[in-house]
Amino acid sequence: MITVFMQQALNGVVLGCIYALTALGLSLVFGILEVANFAHGELYMLGAFMALFATKLVGAPFFIALLISMSIMAVFGALTERVVFRPIVGKPMINSMLLSFGLSTALANLALFFFKADPRKIDSGLADIRFRFLGLYVTAERLSVLVLSIALVALLAWFIQYTKTGKAMRAISQDRVAAQLAGINVRRIYSVTFAISGALAAAAGTMVGAIFFVSPEMGFSVVLKSFVVIILGGFGSIRGVILAAIIIGLAESLGGGYISYAYKDAYPFLLLVLLFMLRPQGLIGGRRS
Amino acid sequence: MKVQARIFIILISLVALLFVPRLFSMDYYMHMFVMSEIYAVLALSLALIVGFSGQVSMGHAAFYGIGAYVSALLSVNFGLSFWVTIWIAGFAAGLVSFMIGVLVLRLRGHFLAITTAFFGILVGLVFNNWIGVTNGPMGVAGIPRPAPLNLPGFTVAIQTRAHYYYLGLAFAVMVAFLVYRLVNSRIGNALIAIRENEELARSIGINAMAYKVLAFSIGGGLAGMAGSFYAHYILFISPVTFTVAESINMLVMIIFGGMSTLFGPILGAVFLTVLPEFLRMAGSLRLVIYGVALVVFIIWMPLGVWGSLKSFWLGRRQASLSEAGESQEHS
Repeated sequence: MITVFMQQALNGVVLGCIYALTALGLSLVFGILEVANFAHGELYMLGAFMALFATKLVGAPFFIALLISMSIMAVFGALTERVVFRPIVGKPMINSMLLSFGLSTALANLALFFFKADPRKIDSGLADIRFRFLGLYVTAERLSVLVLSIALVALLAWFIQYTKTGKAMRAISQDRVAAQLAGINVRRIYSVTFAISGALAAAAGTMVGAIFFVSPEMGFSVVLKSFVVIILGGFGSIRGVILAAIIIGLAESLGGGYISYAYKDAYPFLLLVLLFMLRPQGLIGGRRS
Repeated sequence: MKVQARIFIILISLVALLFVPRLFSMDYYMHMFVMSEIYAVLALSLALIVGFSGQVSMGHAAFYGIGAYVSALLSVNFGLSFWVTIWIAGFAAGLVSFMIGVLVLRLRGHFLAITTAFFGILVGLVFNNWIGVTNGPMGVAGIPRPAPLNLPGFTVAIQTRAHYYYLGLAFAVMVAFLVYRLVNSRIGNALIAIRENEELARSIGINAMAYKVLAFSIGGGLAGMAGSFYAHYILFISPVTFTVAESINMLVMIIFGGMSTLFGPILGAVFLTVLPEFLRMAGSLRLVIYGVALVVFIIWMPLGVWGSLKSFWLGRRQASLSEAGESQEHS
């Protein structure tokens, strides 16, 4: 009984790590460009496909495939920023929402057209290695998701905190005009932000593709959940986002296991509603709308 | 424009609309026009929320769906007439949107949009999984047509698409009139004040939350009535109609035409119902083209077709315009 619970909880934490990666990329873009990027889920989906092709066609090992997909999606992210998002920075938020939704529709259906809908799995070669720990089974796959996510988040936190580019990013998210006056090249930072967010999404997609499946329609529900994570976790706080991501992952996993699997996508919403009722002061936010 | 001239133009176009079934007798065209009317009501009701009070909702299709399901289930299971269920459907959807509005309207901007989108997903999950009541993904079939309408002197049975067209036209005109009266009243002034600057509006004693909830509930209720009309027109409903993508489609409609006007949403609804039909020949790439078109449209025409044309035109004759004249006029 308790082992089942622990197993579900562990799965929830793994899921939470993946949400943390997608939500952090989304929240960076949101903080710096003030754009709600609904196409973020498509970066995640395309990243998963890139890793799939790297392992299937080139025969790259899993970790190399992860790096390949992260670099391709970093370039792709920077490219979408340049072509699609830059013209509308500073326009009303409904425009950026609909724009990114159009991009998301186009990319998802292109992927459907070229890659077809049948779900496929990335072969990581780690699924058969199992560890036994306190009566729980952990595959090396899930363990590597945990370790990789923690490493990536730590890397991101270090980057934002200590590098010159990271400092510039923080400056822009606080006050774009002042940052520009101080000589920061805002456009370069926009590209860097999208590249980072694309790479994180690709990493998350690759890991999901190894544990679950890769399919063209995997993006949209993840992007909405990542937004919930950002709302729950508080805008601009890495620690809050990680905590919220793990809560959402746990809610989905435990709720799906114990309450009803069919409604598992509803739990994040119910958590949000609960939060509004219990702690409205935490969410009055929206200072950037 | 002078008020009389405007009324004259509206009357002329209404009379012209009355003759549409005579010009296009094919079922296929008539179906598109009836759907345009339903979308016009939906776009108007969403414009009340998004365009006039400035609260971006991504869950409008949920209220549309609630109306459709309430109306369909009442008439299938209890044999109630459409003329009763459309009111119940509107009331039910309005009640739900009131409750959701009270909960979520304290959020702003993106946060509100995302939360309402999640509400839309939640409602979709209920439609899909509450099989005992909604029949799940199989949908509700065998919804009866509206009972014959007893007008003084004669009776009209609602059978053909042309009948639905006239019924829908009456419905859309009534909704447009209601929204027109609403946004030109004190309530409308308050809503616009909230859209422009909520703090300032509150500082002069406008109860912002109450007005936002009011607009949200009325919009949701009207969407519910449109859902009821849809259910009794198509005679079959299933959860795939009422998705977040459908909510976003409605948002595209109102931004296409320009959302802070009454004419804009109607124009957008008609265009975005008719235009995608031409994309059918593109087959499986249809949605790719839709997405790319949306991206291009938002980049090049951020104010909507109407607004962008207007600002283009105004920009060209800016020099000759006197300051306070026509350019101050909004709708």
